[in-house]
Amino acid sequence: MGLIEGTGLDKVYSTATGPLVALTNVSFTINEGEFISLVGPSGCGKSTLLSILGGLEQKTDGDLVLAGQHHDAPRRDIGMMFQTSVLFPWRTIRQNVRLPGEILGLDRKQQAERTDELLDLVGLNGFGDRYPSELSGGMRQRVALARLLAHDPRVLLMDEPFGALDEFTRETMNVELLRIWEKTGKTVVFVTHNIGEAVFLSDRIFVMTPRPGRLEGIVEVDLPRPRTTEVMRDPRYTEHVYDIRRMLGVDH
Amino acid sequence: MDMTAQATLPGTSAAAREDAVARFIAAEKRRQQQRLIRNRLLAIGFGLLVIAIWYVATEYGFVHRLIIPSPVDTFWATGRVMSADYFWPNVGVTLSEIAWGFGIGLTSGVVFGVLVAMFDTVRATLYPYLVALQAPPKIVLAPIFVTWFGFDQPSKIAVAVVMSFFPMFLNTLTGLSSVDPNAVKLMRSLTAGRWKTFRHLLLPNALPIMMAGVKLCWTLAVLGVIVGEFVGASAGIGYLIYAMNFQLDIAGVFSLIILLSVFTLVIYQLIEWLESRIIFWKQL
Ligand SMILES: Nc1ncnc2c1ncn2[C@@H]1O[C@H](COP(=O)(O)OP(=O)(O)O)[C@@H](O)[C@H]1O
Ligand SMILES: [Mg+2]
Repeated sequence: MGLIEGTGLDKVYSTATGPLVALTNVSFTINEGEFISLVGPSGCGKSTLLSILGGLEQKTDGDLVLAGQHHDAPRRDIGMMFQTSVLFPWRTIRQNVRLPGEILGLDRKQQAERTDELLDLVGLNGFGDRYPSELSGGMRQRVALARLLAHDPRVLLMDEPFGALDEFTRETMNVELLRIWEKTGKTVVFVTHNIGEAVFLSDRIFVMTPRPGRLEGIVEVDLPRPRTTEVMRDPRYTEHVYDIRRMLGVDH
Repeated sequence: MDMTAQATLPGTSAAAREDAVARFIAAEKRRQQQRLIRNRLLAIGFGLLVIAIWYVATEYGFVHRLIIPSPVDTFWATGRVMSADYFWPNVGVTLSEIAWGFGIGLTSGVVFGVLVAMFDTVRATLYPYLVALQAPPKIVLAPIFVTWFGFDQPSKIAVAVVMSFFPMFLNTLTGLSSVDPNAVKLMRSLTAGRWKTFRHLLLPNALPIMMAGVKLCWTLAVLGVIVGEFVGASAGIGYLIYAMNFQLDIAGVFSLIILLSVFTLVIYQLIEWLESRIIFWKQL
């Protein structure tokens, strides 16, 4: 049995112009420690699905089970990260990373140590006392990554976390994310509309199509681990990218 | 670290490079200082020019002294007014009215702003009325307040309160409502409840807009008290201005206006200083 199991998930938003079907009949299993990506064009329901996984949105229909329990509310063992770093400008970097610990009432001393470790892990040693406005976009996402890990959640839900970064920074961040993931063994659900990024990172890719949002298919990525940017030269990498493009109907 | 990889130029030692950077920063600081001094001088120069024009216009009879007193007359009048035995008691009356009006207006504005922002039922119940009440110019209430609360301090405080309440209320509400939806999502994902979200996110996030409200609130509280004193009072700066104007002691009126402006400005500066302390991250 997987860590997260969705069966026949539907999501309908009621909007001013009537009901809007954001997801229809989405079923999947996510295993513990797996790296899953959700890819698809804008509006296919990736963020909606991630919000449902995070317990922030209610599904309209279907079943969602996490670790054997029905799941419909935020939990402390799930962490979320967004396209913008959402750092609080009145907090130093260190204080930002300590936010989850404060909210959840975790042991202060332990959190202080963990914060230093995490800043180390994301390569921001020595930046702890700076303020977010003093950091570049890439560095801020590193802080957001450290904060994501602060309370040691079991599941990481990441909504286009590197989508606003330039190509070079994004690639660096991808490599680092893989390194951290391999070290920590977290279960990751990673939203992106960058197919290459999804193939590079994932064990499996959920390919989604819009109107209404559906899970078009699941691609198992057949590439060795640990991965470096070298795998982008692997013919299988190109093939996966091509397959996904075909599933999304971007190649004609 | 990979993000701050340094380019090494051949033939330059690390120390030499650091030295060059330090010199560049020092030069930049000097330039900034010079700009600052230049701006100060421009402002002071303009002020002196205005006073000079004022002086020439009044002392050389271009404008009648009963309409605008000369700077010299105003200066002496200021001394005369400040040393008169009626001055300080009247100042005390006005200051305490302003303090109460400002204090009550600010507090009630913040409280209602928070309640309306945080509780849907309160918003649904009160918001339409609060917005409707905001529409008429509050000054029209001054005569009514004199009728209701009498010639003494309460009627002035009441005018100050209704005038300073709305900017504080609206700015608190706006501040608490203009928050990054992802930040709210983040707090929810961390299982933060209403209070923790308020304390860690909504309130600090609202402070810049709220502090702008405090400044408006202050200016309007002073305005409210003076208007209240004009409408009907037996003591206070507004009352003095009114009385002196009646006696055609225009220089005295001018000196009071200047003293009142200086006082308002000093407190305003104090609030701005507090603001820069409270929302320090805007200065970074
Ligand atoms: N809170 C909401 N209320 C109404 N409609 C929404 C809401 N969130 C998303 N939608 C709609 O649901 C669809 C899927 O949105 P989303 O999950 O954000 O897609 P994606 O992240 O793949 O771009 C879109 O048509 C969007 O307009
Ligand atoms: Mg999205």
